[in-house]
Amino acid sequence: MSDPAEDLEDLYETAPCGYVSISPDGRIVKANRTIADWLGRPADALLGMRVHDLLGFGGRIAFETHLAPLLRMQGHVHEIALELLTAAGEKVPAIANAAEKRSADGRHLFTRLTLFRAVDRRIYEQTLLEARAKAEAETKAHQEAALLREQFIAVLGHDLRNPLAALAAGVRLLGRKEKLSDRGLAILGEMNGSIGRASALVDDLLDLARGSLGGGFVVDRDADAPLTPALEQVVAEVRSITPERAIEASIRIDEPVYCDRGRIGQLASNLLANAITHGSPDRPISFVATDGDLFTLSVANGGAPIPKDVMKRLFQPFFRGSVRRSRNGLGLGLYIASEIAKAHGGRLDVSSTEEETRFTFTMPRSKPVAPPSE
Amino acid sequence: MHFQKRSAKAPRSLPPQGFAAEVSLLGGPMLFSPDAVLRRHNVNISGSGERTILFAHGFGCDQTMWEPVARNFEREFRVVLFDYLGHGQSDATAYSAERYASLEAYAEDVIEIGRALDLRGAVFVGHSVSAMIGALASIRAPEMFSELIMVGPSPRYIDDEGYRGGFSREQVDELLDFLAANHLGWSAAMAPAIMGNPDRPELGSRLENSFCRTDPAIARDFARATFLSDNRGDLAAVPARTLVLQCSEDIIAPVAVGEYVHAALPRSEYRLLDATGHCPNLSAPEEVTAAIREFV
Repeated sequence: MSDPAEDLEDLYETAPCGYVSISPDGRIVKANRTIADWLGRPADALLGMRVHDLLGFGGRIAFETHLAPLLRMQGHVHEIALELLTAAGEKVPAIANAAEKRSADGRHLFTRLTLFRAVDRRIYEQTLLEARAKAEAETKAHQEAALLREQFIAVLGHDLRNPLAALAAGVRLLGRKEKLSDRGLAILGEMNGSIGRASALVDDLLDLARGSLGGGFVVDRDADAPLTPALEQVVAEVRSITPERAIEASIRIDEPVYCDRGRIGQLASNLLANAITHGSPDRPISFVATDGDLFTLSVANGGAPIPKDVMKRLFQPFFRGSVRRSRNGLGLGLYIASEIAKAHGGRLDVSSTEEETRFTFTMPRSKPVAPPSE
Repeated sequence: MHFQKRSAKAPRSLPPQGFAAEVSLLGGPMLFSPDAVLRRHNVNISGSGERTILFAHGFGCDQTMWEPVARNFEREFRVVLFDYLGHGQSDATAYSAERYASLEAYAEDVIEIGRALDLRGAVFVGHSVSAMIGALASIRAPEMFSELIMVGPSPRYIDDEGYRGGFSREQVDELLDFLAANHLGWSAAMAPAIMGNPDRPELGSRLENSFCRTDPAIARDFARATFLSDNRGDLAAVPARTLVLQCSEDIIAPVAVGEYVHAALPRSEYRLLDATGHCPNLSAPEEVTAAIREFV
């Protein structure tokens, strides 16, 4: 061996890790000085001791029930956490690799154990485990609170429907059967409008609750009737509510369209309402429905472009941008529109420049071969 | 609180659509088809024979620990191996900490597997804690197993007045602490994060130790159910013919405990193996095979 030669005997004895060899019946037959130093015992004194005697009680049971069987089955175990017991009774965290030495005919001769002290590492591991347990507990608490909140919204929304329906019926009766002054009729008209807006808010809340509690929006798609009249009606309604705004509508689609017409109408209505709220009042709103391979519905308005940071959050529930407090709405319109788009296997995209802000809904034209589960 | 009172009414007043998933979240115990039972417990059947021999693994491992012995019976028996829930390749999602707080639930699972396989007069071989699980199953379903083989049994691990189980209560607590803090090694402690990623199966295959993989939380529960159990009172009621296989040097089930079990059973034979340690099925499969074959 050339100089400087590595002395294998010395390498074994003073390697920066512990070496222990164990006979098949669990007794130590060889150990190096490093491990003897860590354990505070002379290397000779280790010989003949049972491996159990070096381990804490938990480690002993783990060794018998888990490590020993693993060694027999796969011949090795890697990265096992153990605690070593020193002569003074202290516990030293260690990481161990172990391998069985077998004879040519497969007989188990002895088991080699290589040990590394792992004090810092164990602290780190414990910290990780604790952090994970804490994060899990917090997530669970958050989820429970969110569920409760959503249930509350669902119940509240649902229970508000009945008094609203009674109010609407009363207003209808007053208008039809009672003789009212012009002023009375005007007030009744206002009341009717308010009831309509309140009902729309409640419907949005229920959609939100269904979307998040029920595992997604439920849409009922078919191709039994044309979609065009539903879209025309939405445009007409919006025009009648906001006669001062110009809406340029173009609906050219091959009927029928496989969709939930009520929901697509709701999507169109939400996009128009959004354009009216945020668009520049002196620029016309464009409403275009076309189809080719994809069914496309887009709504565009003029005005200041949407800031980048706002774009990211547009489709989140309860997002209201910089809308004045006095405006109607909960910030659910675009969220619900995007959920309706998703439930149709489609998508809702937005682009915003100095020229225009455009929301575009696209979805497959015809019924998919195997409809996605909804 | 007003808020909670209202939400308590939720199921009645909720809109009908979209909430179905919410309502059926926590159903009661369900009846499963035989196929579902066999899949859930990763039941593997081999061999051919009139009679069935069922091998049950103990704490800390899975069915692979029986393979060196089980394969020797494939000529004369239908050989059945399975994993308890949360062990090996069983369906850990079917596990619930409440249900599996005692060994009774494990015995019920054995009976469920037995029913799914239509077992009558079969042989049950249980290692370690499975010896007592087999005893409980035999009492509850006497027709299912005519022979019971207990490998390293202990009806109670903790010492008691006039009884030496070999463990003190403090030691068992230390073990449970060890498992809570450490489980059976670093990789296993991190396993739930890895196993909980079904969309990234490559993570699981990177785990160093591929056998005896156990969900650490379930292993802890199983340790508690095992090491705090006391089935001494059940032994006299075991109807099956029983063979007690005792290892020579076993820190988990000492010789005196094996002798106690033999004395308490109505119809039993006792055999002290030359094998040492707690897992003779792995360290001395030939000796265990010969002892079982002689008995059945």
